[in-house]
Amino acid sequence: MLLAVALPFLGAAVTPFVFRFLGNRTAYYAAGVALASFSLIASQHGATGEVVLPWIPSLDVALRFYVDGLAVLIGYLASGIGVIILTYSGGYMEHEPGKKKYYTTLLVFMGSMIGVAFAADLLALFVFWELTSISSYVLIGHYTGERDSRYAARKAMFITVGGGLFMLIGFLMLASVTGTFDLVAMLGQAETVRQQLRAAGMLVPVIALLGVGAAAKSAQVPLHVWLPNAMEAPTPVSAFLHSATMVKAGVYLVGRFRPLLLTEEWLLVFAAMGLVTMAITAILAVAATDIKELLAYSTASHLGLIIAGFGFQNVYGAETGAFHILNHALFKAALFLVAGIIAHEAGTRAIDELGGLWSDLPVTGTVAVIAGLGMAGVPPFNGFYSKELLFEAAWETAVHAGGAAWLYPAIAVFGSIFTFLYSIRFVMLFFGDRPEGLTDVHSPPLSMIAPPVVLAVLAAVVGAFPQLAIDTIVQRVFESAATGHGHEFHVGLPTYLTPPVAMSAVVILVGVVTYPFYDRLHNGLRALGQAVPPIRTNWWYDGAVFGLNRLSVWLAGVVQNGLLRTYASWAFLGIVGLTLGGYLATDAVLPAAVPITLQAPIIIVLLVAVVAAVAITVAPSHVAGVLTLSILGFMVAIFYILASAPDLALTQLTVETLLLVIFLLVLDRLPAFYGSIDRWRAVRDGVLAVAVGVTVSITVLLSTAGAPSDGIARYFVENSIPLGGGSNIVNVILVDFRGFDTLGEISVIAMAAVSVLTLIAMRERGETS
Amino acid sequence: MTTVIFRTVTRLTVPIILLVSIALFLQGHNHPGGGFIAGVLSSSAFALIYIAYGLDFLEEDVLGRESGSTVEHLSHGVVTDYRRTFAIGLAVAAGSGVVAIGLGYAFLTQDYVIVHDLPLYHEVELASAVAFDLGVYAVVVGALLTILSVVGSE
Repeated sequence: MLLAVALPFLGAAVTPFVFRFLGNRTAYYAAGVALASFSLIASQHGATGEVVLPWIPSLDVALRFYVDGLAVLIGYLASGIGVIILTYSGGYMEHEPGKKKYYTTLLVFMGSMIGVAFAADLLALFVFWELTSISSYVLIGHYTGERDSRYAARKAMFITVGGGLFMLIGFLMLASVTGTFDLVAMLGQAETVRQQLRAAGMLVPVIALLGVGAAAKSAQVPLHVWLPNAMEAPTPVSAFLHSATMVKAGVYLVGRFRPLLLTEEWLLVFAAMGLVTMAITAILAVAATDIKELLAYSTASHLGLIIAGFGFQNVYGAETGAFHILNHALFKAALFLVAGIIAHEAGTRAIDELGGLWSDLPVTGTVAVIAGLGMAGVPPFNGFYSKELLFEAAWETAVHAGGAAWLYPAIAVFGSIFTFLYSIRFVMLFFGDRPEGLTDVHSPPLSMIAPPVVLAVLAAVVGAFPQLAIDTIVQRVFESAATGHGHEFHVGLPTYLTPPVAMSAVVILVGVVTYPFYDRLHNGLRALGQAVPPIRTNWWYDGAVFGLNRLSVWLAGVVQNGLLRTYASWAFLGIVGLTLGGYLATDAVLPAAVPITLQAPIIIVLLVAVVAAVAITVAPSHVAGVLTLSILGFMVAIFYILASAPDLALTQLTVETLLLVIFLLVLDRLPAFYGSIDRWRAVRDGVLAVAVGVTVSITVLLSTAGAPSDGIARYFVENSIPLGGGSNIVNVILVDFRGFDTLGEISVIAMAAVSVLTLIAMRERGETS
Repeated sequence: MTTVIFRTVTRLTVPIILLVSIALFLQGHNHPGGGFIAGVLSSSAFALIYIAYGLDFLEEDVLGRESGSTVEHLSHGVVTDYRRTFAIGLAVAAGSGVVAIGLGYAFLTQDYVIVHDLPLYHEVELASAVAFDLGVYAVVVGALLTILSVVGSE
């Protein structure tokens, strides 16, 4: 099991070397890795269990992997469709740049996706989840030279990673209420967890936060905007990540947490979000002009369908989600590969410029018909059954709840009509008249045609024998996502009229009647979008992102204007503000004044230091200023000696010496006189200086008053010689007891050196952007 | 800054400073001293040389290499050695922690043995922390001298 997750990562690690020997045939090597993962996952078929690998034991975080129906299905999709896609890439990517990076990232993605599916620890799940976002970022931005690619990659990253952070907060809330990151343990006592959450008032926030995470990943309205742009990626990537797998991560999340959080609130959030997405993105798909854009919106729409299914509380809901995950992966991946073939062989992706492709691409056309009708939900193709289940779920909910709940079936039917329309439009690319200018359509190579055929055959089998698919896989997926046990579900072609059957009939009838007006609808929708920009989510996204960009450019100009003293002022201001704010927030109380008796030598030393400090401000030249400054430093060193801290004194002395030397080194390069400063600036700097001084004093008072019981100090004193073997406690602490701190500190020193190097070395080159 | 007096004094003091820094480094476990202080002290010795004899002195007269122009300083020459010093130091410090993991202890666990019956010293304590401290020393020296020479060459 562990191997199934680790294998793609290992495979990815050696890909660059393999590429050196195999070149273009790396695709088949990568497909082999995927196949190995697939068979490993297949060996888990029907199993349920858990593998635990300790990770951060002190926080009870572990690499737990859990096997059940839902996990195995997603694992099958990731690895199985991975095999198909990687094979297809062998033909598609033959003349494309960056293949080494492409195959490596694709395998990394596959590993992360399998990790998401099997992770049973909230933090491990989060890590794998973000890994999929990052690999997707690299893959979308595959053509690094293109502006659109970069925009699309950034957008996808911003939205999906951002959503992931929301999800992380949700996870942390869950963990803080239940006291564990172990998902299996939570699922084991779902009822208790629900009550705990409700008692803590965190049920709704957790559902909402997980909802945002799932919506970002699975392109739900209004976070769907990244998906159409992500089509800038090479088509195999779109087929793999943005139809069959990565976008399923959000759906998976919803399915995984469904048994845990299934409540009225859950219904409201997910059923509504899913159905609204399903309808809106279906409409947008009709407005699409590019075949990949059409498929992208349609993907969002079908993901909405799945999420809505998981949202409904009755058994049909879970059935919908479980079954449609499989169906959608089959037909959508096939359609994307078909779109890839069209783009590759016909040289265009614009819907208007395509038509009558059947004569050139008969096999591809057959695939498109099987998959397209499945997407439309026409019986007896695979999508029909799961859509039927959705109608049933919506209908049941409406009958139970009444009132506004009737909106659920209504929206479902409304969205399905548009789904039907665009599905037929896609299929019609292969029929009808061939537009002018479309000549010279080649036949695709075998490595490109075989993968979609495999998918279409699978889709057709599911369509013809749905019960077979249910019994093999889906029943167990359903059990993972459902609450309670023992329900066996059955599907088949309807034999008598029920409300859901009538809904399907209405969809198909209205669809057939409206189809002749498709072009008019398409143009009308586009015109609407152009005329009223605020109804497009993109308008908001671009406005927000570019607005923030402008704001940060402006802010950087104010805060970091190139003058060192401005930088210093802002940094000090920030420190003072944050520190005092922290004290205020924690209601820190200043301790009562403690009478301190000072010996005469210390008083004298400190007085000299104060005099030196005052003298610096009136020093007539730089040299005098620096020398006075070092008087201050040396006085502090003497103070350390008097206060019996020889190590500190020694450090202070050497550092002070070095500083003095460095100052002398650069001093004769500085202008002798800067000019007088105006009064306002002097007052401002003075206020800042006083504020910093007050903050430091308060900090010293608070931290010395709040000294913890001297347990740890005594521990160090007692154990310095027996455990560390040294009588200098300070140094034993530095290198032994708290060696990790020191390691961090020297890393900082090294980083400072590196940054000085780069700053000075790169100064001549200017900005590279 | 490059008077004869200054140069002569530098010639005399630099070896002493270096010696003291080594002593501080070695006695750090039981007396005031340690890798950080020794590192800073060694750096000041180099800084003195820089001020007294100029930046190229170390490279041309001590190491006998051709010195490049300022920009080249940043990519090779003695600065590369400094850079290597702090990189190696960081690796030594972290590596000494990893060794502890290899032996089955937690990261950065330190231990010591006392060796008896040696000629002259009679009894010497060998602490594993010396390796870590050596890393600290190298990082401090390397980093400070990198900064010093890069800024100084401006």
